[in-house]
Amino acid sequence: MNCSKTHKLISAYIDGELKAINIKAFESHIKSCRACSIAVEEVRNQHNFFALAEEFKAPYGFSTRVMANIASKKAKGFSWTPLFTRFAEVIVMLVMIFTGIISGSFLSDRLANEKKALIMSSFYLDIFDPTPPDSLGGVYLAMAEVKNEK
Amino acid sequence: MSNSSEDLSIIDRFKNSDEAVFEKLILKYQDRIYNLCRHMLGNAHDAEDAAQDTFVKAYRNLTKFKPESSLYTWLYRIAVNTCLDYKKRPLFASLFRKSDEGDELIREHSSSWPSPERLYESKQIGLALHGGIRKLSPKLRTVIILKEIEGLSYEGIADILEVSIGTVKSRIARARDDLKVLLKDFTEQK
Repeated sequence: MNCSKTHKLISAYIDGELKAINIKAFESHIKSCRACSIAVEEVRNQHNFFALAEEFKAPYGFSTRVMANIASKKAKGFSWTPLFTRFAEVIVMLVMIFTGIISGSFLSDRLANEKKALIMSSFYLDIFDPTPPDSLGGVYLAMAEVKNEK
Repeated sequence: MSNSSEDLSIIDRFKNSDEAVFEKLILKYQDRIYNLCRHMLGNAHDAEDAAQDTFVKAYRNLTKFKPESSLYTWLYRIAVNTCLDYKKRPLFASLFRKSDEGDELIREHSSSWPSPERLYESKQIGLALHGGIRKLSPKLRTVIILKEIEGLSYEGIADILEVSIGTVKSRIARARDDLKVLLKDFTEQK
């Protein structure tokens, strides 16, 4: 048995699920191969960790709560709440998109009629006051103009 | 895995309209199902909800259950699928939940108290394992919990997940390889 095959069989070996015909060859290989022997020990250590992990018990009164839950579900019949909870994100997203489309279209209609000119005028640069010639901006513009002329 | 005579009696009585007998079934399996959910989901609130959902689903479908199948496997299959659905739960449903890592450690050990050192070590290992398990993909997380925490055989896991034994074998090997990397820091400290 080579290292590659041995590596594939480590888990089954540790779990006692390795077929009898493979066990002898597997054990013989790990005796002679240090790398594979270390790999087996690593998996064994991990397996031992799990053995130390905590075992949780159902909380006190669990069965009573389940029976009460069943009784309440039987009394109520089918409820839309779980369905709503499951799809709540999608519903909220759709509502937001729909609201956005409606309000966007409403605003654009109003703007088209009332404020279009105002918005268009804001694109023209002549809304700004001319730069005073003595200011830093004025000096800069004058220098840029001279440079452009050259 | 065949059903015990007690399970068969419960199923039979349930099918004959004795619905109260279902509580016996809960009492018999609640610890194993809760433990599975607790390890799959990582927190007490979700684990209890998922375990409750498992039994509610079992209650609804027990009349359709075929006694020749294994009740234990059937319950585990419901629990695994419920937990996987919980993992996929929308953000909306999880917004109102708070994290309570390990808050039930004390109240769940009403008898046979372990020593403080043992409790501390177990807690540390539990946290490290949970941290590692949580980073595994759902498929790998499920097989490693069923194998290492629940101690099921490859055949039992294959029955629960309805996959081949070869698939179980390869998933367990991959989960261990991934966990080896994820738990590297913790194991080096030990």
